[in-house]
Amino acid sequence: MPDPTFSLPDYRRQSPEVAARFARLKERPVKLEVRTLGKTFASPQGQIEALRDVNFRIYRREIMGLTGASGCGKSTLMRVLAGLEYPTSGEVLLEGQPVRGPGPDRGMVFQSYTLFPWLTVKKNVLFGLEMSGRSGPVAESEARQWIDLVGLSAFENAYPHQLSGGMKQRVAIARALANQPKILFMDEPFGALDAQSRASMQRHLLEIWKHVDLTILLITHDLDEAVYLADRILVLDPNPGRIRELIEVPVPRPRAADQCFSPPFLAAKCHLESLIHPPGEPHGPNLNLVRMTPHDDNPE
Amino acid sequence: MFRRKTVPPDRVGWFAVRRELPPRRRALLTLLSFFGPLLLWCAVSYLPFIWHPEVQLTLAADRDGVTTSYSAGDRLSRDYFPEYVRQVMVDNAAIRAAHETGDSLEVTRRTNLRNLRQIVPWGMTNGYLTQESASDDSAMLRLWARAAQGDTGKRLRLSRENREIAATNWDMITTTATDPFDPRQLPTQPLLKLLPQGERSNPVYLPTPGDVIRAGWRDFTTPASAGGPALGERLRHSMRIVFGGFLLAALIGVPIGILCGTFDFFSRLIEPFVDFFRYMPAPAFSTLLVAIFLAHDAPKIALVFVGTFFQLVLVVANTARGLDHSLLEAAQTLGARQPQLLLRVIVPGILPRLYNDLRILLGWAWTWLVIAELIGVKSGLTEFIETQGRWRNFERVYPVIILIGFIGFFTDQILAALRPFLFRWTGDMPGQGAHGLATSVVAGPRWLTRTLTEGRLDAHPKFLKR
Repeated sequence: MPDPTFSLPDYRRQSPEVAARFARLKERPVKLEVRTLGKTFASPQGQIEALRDVNFRIYRREIMGLTGASGCGKSTLMRVLAGLEYPTSGEVLLEGQPVRGPGPDRGMVFQSYTLFPWLTVKKNVLFGLEMSGRSGPVAESEARQWIDLVGLSAFENAYPHQLSGGMKQRVAIARALANQPKILFMDEPFGALDAQSRASMQRHLLEIWKHVDLTILLITHDLDEAVYLADRILVLDPNPGRIRELIEVPVPRPRAADQCFSPPFLAAKCHLESLIHPPGEPHGPNLNLVRMTPHDDNPE
Repeated sequence: MFRRKTVPPDRVGWFAVRRELPPRRRALLTLLSFFGPLLLWCAVSYLPFIWHPEVQLTLAADRDGVTTSYSAGDRLSRDYFPEYVRQVMVDNAAIRAAHETGDSLEVTRRTNLRNLRQIVPWGMTNGYLTQESASDDSAMLRLWARAAQGDTGKRLRLSRENREIAATNWDMITTTATDPFDPRQLPTQPLLKLLPQGERSNPVYLPTPGDVIRAGWRDFTTPASAGGPALGERLRHSMRIVFGGFLLAALIGVPIGILCGTFDFFSRLIEPFVDFFRYMPAPAFSTLLVAIFLAHDAPKIALVFVGTFFQLVLVVANTARGLDHSLLEAAQTLGARQPQLLLRVIVPGILPRLYNDLRILLGWAWTWLVIAELIGVKSGLTEFIETQGRWRNFERVYPVIILIGFIGFFTDQILAALRPFLFRWTGDMPGQGAHGLATSVVAGPRWLTRTLTEGRLDAHPKFLKR
């Protein structure tokens, strides 16, 4: 039995401020709308249905988390939204316009940084601007501003191989932001970082989000990260990938690190946990174990 | 922070699995890898007891009734040499017997003269005769006088038997002739033959390092002669063919390879045929190329081209395909369109690997050189090798072969050493990794290494503070 002092509130219970905030959020313009999206891959084993009937909306300046067990189609969904894959059915509307192919109006940050190793930090950030035909001192000073925003002004002439993982990811964010995308997709952006860098990057991302007109869809495996950063969290079920639930995070903003132990935070996290790792099989799949110690030698 | 962890040098043994040896040991072993074979060659050449299966004649003799005649410089197998000497001794014994019994063997002055002339190599080697006086018979007779007076020579010593033979012969010459140095007054009685002398030696195809160096020095320092252009000119000619063929192949092959690696369209259209074509050996096209391009350098350059182009296309295509696909996706989400993906992402992204590919293919181009120079009108270094080889002047062949090796090797080493400076963004350091000789022996000029190291951010004060 759980300790009664730790009994958590229902994750759906929202304080008046939080409820009011969600009401305001849903009045904002819709940035991205996904309608009855489906995606099927052809493979040697036959057709594989990766996504089925996905519907959701992201409002302006919202941070939406996207999570689910591995292989549930999170990345596929994001690649379809970014235009790197084409949907088999349904459509994606960005500010009301259907999405066709990748474009600079949707920024993307990958887990593997994907910085261009032959370009300096400044040139990496300038890349998007140059692709839209902008170069020269104005574009350069703009790139500098974005580098400044992620706190890397001292390294604008460094090459990616000279940077740590966290610094690389900050460059990747600056590079994506320089195009001033309508929405930023982040595919497990901090997954490769160590715990400290990850925490500081999360704080950093919230700071940037406050100062820039930014709408974010963020894939993460880290439930703490999802609850800490997101307004709403989309949970996918695997085989085929479909929406299990869209959770409204009951934690008030501004978020701070000490909220990680607040009852609404824990309630949301526990619920996510139960969705992604259903309590049915506590020990995971049945393991074929042979006892190699005497019966009375129990470590528990 | 990103540097490979280095183990203190004193902790690493000579044999540690996947561990780099300390720089000094690496340098030592690299030197040994060159000096080892060289020492082996010296040992085989200068220590007769190791191999030396033949005897090179310093003095020869004709045998009665044997048509095979040897002259100084010829090589006999070591087993046969004593038999050869014995046969001459048998002849001499017969002559001595005739002297004692007073029988007159039928011998003409000409035969005597021919046998006496066998002393000429002794005079030449010891410097008593010059090239001009070698065919002067009275100078030759003066050699006999010298030998009879007990001069054994310095560089080539006469054996004791031969000194006695010289004395005996000189006695006979002086008793009959008023002017012993007049070849027309030679006695008609048979004179003794010099016994063959020889030195143990290696076969003709393995000259000593000393001979090779001397011959090489002579060939490289002598200007153009009747035998053709000077070696320097030949070398330039050969390099024109190698680099001409290679640059042509690279100029056409690199763009095609990049297109194949970028667009499936070109890959399917071009690569299958290229893959098939590269299995047809380039030398097989030689006569065809001569027919198409006629004489001079054109067919030779074409052969180097055929030998490298098809490999190059496939290698470059693979390199272009090897570029991290996520970089292309990232560029697309940043707004890059088709031509920009090609020119701004693929081309700069593969440059370092392309550079390495071209280094390897330049090596291929060198291997085609010799065949290329043999087709049509022989030319360049290969013609020299061919001619000298046919005359069995192998000590003149080796320097040229070694020269070709050196040029190819050093071009490659220089290119390898330049790579970290050309592509600083790869983070490769000079003297790091498996770059071979240039980096392990020289480790790059120290000041350049330091410049690069200090450019790194893990040494950056601001970075350290974080």
